[in-house]
Amino acid sequence: MSIRDQLQILVVDDMSTSRGLIVQALEAIGIKHIHLASTGEEAIGLLARQPAHLVLSDYNMPGMDGIQLLGHLRANPRTRGVGFILITGKADRQIVESGKSFGMNNFLKKPFDVQDLRSCLEAVVGRL
Amino acid sequence: MTTDPMAEIRTSFFAECDELLESLQDALNLMDEGEHDSETINVVFRAVHSIKGGAGAFGLDALVSFAHQYETVMDEVRSGRLVPDASAIKLFFRAADMLQDIVRTTRDEQHPPPGIEDMLALLKALLHEDAQELDEPVAFTPLGLSLEFDLGAPAIDVAPAEIDDDFGWTITFTPNAGLYASGNEALLILRSLSNLGHCVIRCLVPEDLPPPDESNAETPLLSWRIILEEDVPESDIRQVFDFVNDVCQLQISPRKVIDDLAPTRPERISPTAEAALPPVGSTSAKKPAGDDACPISSAASKVSLVPHPRPARPVDTNAHEPATMVRVDMEKIDRLVNLIGELVINQAMLAQSVETAGMSQQSDIMAGLESFMTLTRDIKESVMTIRAQPVKSLFQRMARIVREASASVEKEVRLKSVGEYTEVDKTVIERLADPLTQMIRNAVDHGLERPDVRRAASKPPEGQITLSASHRAGRVLIEIEDDGAGIDRPKVRDIAIQKRLIAPDASLTDAEIDQLLFLPGFSTATEVSALSGRGVGMDVVKAAITSLGGRITTTSVPGQGTKFSISLPLTLAVLDGMVVQAAGQTLVVPLSAIIETAKLEEQNIHRLSASGMMMRFRQELVPLFDLGQKLGFRDMRDIAAAGIVLLTVQEDGRRAALIVDAIMEQRQVVIKGLGQTCGHIPGVAAATILGDGQIALILDPGDLVWGGASSPHFDTKAG
Repeated sequence: MSIRDQLQILVVDDMSTSRGLIVQALEAIGIKHIHLASTGEEAIGLLARQPAHLVLSDYNMPGMDGIQLLGHLRANPRTRGVGFILITGKADRQIVESGKSFGMNNFLKKPFDVQDLRSCLEAVVGRL
Repeated sequence: MTTDPMAEIRTSFFAECDELLESLQDALNLMDEGEHDSETINVVFRAVHSIKGGAGAFGLDALVSFAHQYETVMDEVRSGRLVPDASAIKLFFRAADMLQDIVRTTRDEQHPPPGIEDMLALLKALLHEDAQELDEPVAFTPLGLSLEFDLGAPAIDVAPAEIDDDFGWTITFTPNAGLYASGNEALLILRSLSNLGHCVIRCLVPEDLPPPDESNAETPLLSWRIILEEDVPESDIRQVFDFVNDVCQLQISPRKVIDDLAPTRPERISPTAEAALPPVGSTSAKKPAGDDACPISSAASKVSLVPHPRPARPVDTNAHEPATMVRVDMEKIDRLVNLIGELVINQAMLAQSVETAGMSQQSDIMAGLESFMTLTRDIKESVMTIRAQPVKSLFQRMARIVREASASVEKEVRLKSVGEYTEVDKTVIERLADPLTQMIRNAVDHGLERPDVRRAASKPPEGQITLSASHRAGRVLIEIEDDGAGIDRPKVRDIAIQKRLIAPDASLTDAEIDQLLFLPGFSTATEVSALSGRGVGMDVVKAAITSLGGRITTTSVPGQGTKFSISLPLTLAVLDGMVVQAAGQTLVVPLSAIIETAKLEEQNIHRLSASGMMMRFRQELVPLFDLGQKLGFRDMRDIAAAGIVLLTVQEDGRRAALIVDAIMEQRQVVIKGLGQTCGHIPGVAAATILGDGQIALILDPGDLVWGGASSPHFDTKAG
């Protein structure tokens, strides 16, 4: 079984359009297990019940933003080790710096295509 | 049906844009009312940002570049580097309007609207020289992950208590009877609580919340669950509740993240609703916790808004759709509505056959049929509510009309919306947009005075238009009220005389003069202005409302303002009707048009000419018509022999009596359009299929008697 078949990815985005696009791209890459959450709070709840290898989260969300979500995940021993890729509309230095300080694994700037997403994932989990 | 996933996502993007634009308007309204807290500004920013993000994914460049500039400005506001004044907020509104136009033209693949460059320049002018955002490449080295494919035990054995990711507090606050009576205010308490740290507040709304009114103002009906995301000593929290300790129930416990996701529902939850909840852990169906949570400031500001007509879903300033909602193609719903219509007809036919077969009332079949009928009615009502939508989107469009109209005539106007969560059939909402636009334009143009005139009359220079919606007696009532000068009746009368709509010496009551506004051809050339004089007069407005089965009335007080009231049926698909017979035809008269039925007696008939008759109804003489003759089914006959008259009424109060041969029954009928081929048949509104499979015409008595255009009413009084 390849990594693609086993990788569990949680997509966090408040916009259903964005979730749809990300799922579309992940499926194009061949990822089999994709879970969805529309807020950071929901993501935390889901991860408590259903661990994932990797979280792909939007930065700008109502309530908890992507960096706050990352902070939460890193603060909890159960989710500390989860991979985290931040998706941002703007690669703002400040956002990237705070992501770095929490041990963000990678970031992806919008808009992106399937190839961008693939490279971004491969930089974290190895060849897909 | 589309199978291209990208096309589907694109469609859902534009649907999402509408929601984002709506939340953008809401947040701008709050800013306009003086709310400048970060969450309100964030909602504006996020809406624009999300539209930009989605547009980028589809390569919609015009949308991206406009949203980008708007977003940059809002980012400045968000960071506090730009403090918007009233004129800047006005500009934000106009930019939101422009953004909406660009979304629309992009969706419809049309040319972008004019004026984008100008608006971009205006937005840019708000920015400081050095505010140019830096989208420089940021150095970042990806962090590899060593993967372990045994992700541990599945969810079930993760007990909530094992999650040690708790910080902050969960507080449940339930006011007792004495809280409001002793002058305390929950809102203020929640505000001071939010001073301790970021709060996520959820209001627990009971399922059977009565509509708010004066008499229950001090009865506590709501309670709150607050998640305070801050590690403060418990005593600090207790201190906030110091003054209300004895008049409320308070629970304070260390926060568990798992609690945040627990469904926050009042305890009186019906078992059916409970059963309908999705299983915990199903990703797509789980309601996100953040959905009905809103930060203190926006929760607070919403409290001052108008009362909801029903306990709608919790106030939500976030535009994303709750995961428990499903988007459905309107076409599918319409098909369902049609099928239900067929079912209603079928059921009526079945009932009729069973009756004809001479079945005993006690038989099982009759009992079964009865419950079948109850079910059919329930299904029909449920389906109709699917088509219902809050009028909010319509009212927001009107807010834009007010902004544009008031700017073009240089008047200051504030639009107040009341009852925007009132739900109305989607088609009614769509078809209301044009008449309402015209009425709002009229109110700005003709209703409200110029600021100097208002000052002279010791009124505030800013005029107010109130747009309200409510449910009343099974109908929807929409009112447009201005605080302007009122209808200038002498002027209206003069114009009507000039236009030969009335005789020069006609003596008319105020109400009759007001009705002149609705006559075709009343709107005159001298009245034409850039704004409302577009050849669309109140007669067209009235025709549009009438075609929706609605009525329009007006009241006006000189110097104080004018109010137009539109009363509409809740749905266009079914109608309460009276099934009658005339000249061997079975016809349906809408119940809403009938005020009385009576026996026709010879001594009450007054013959005026060969064809004209009046009938005395109590103290009043009303025109009398034979329905069969009026529809051309038979010639004049000895009407005194016939039995029954229906007294019908128009929305303007005009009455007429219609002779019918018999009243069959009173029932709900499914409205079937006559289709384009028939065109407009005077007096006929639509058709329906009765229980015996027979087709029957649904009449429009007003149109039948007065034929829309001509108005014998005023002529008879003249001279």
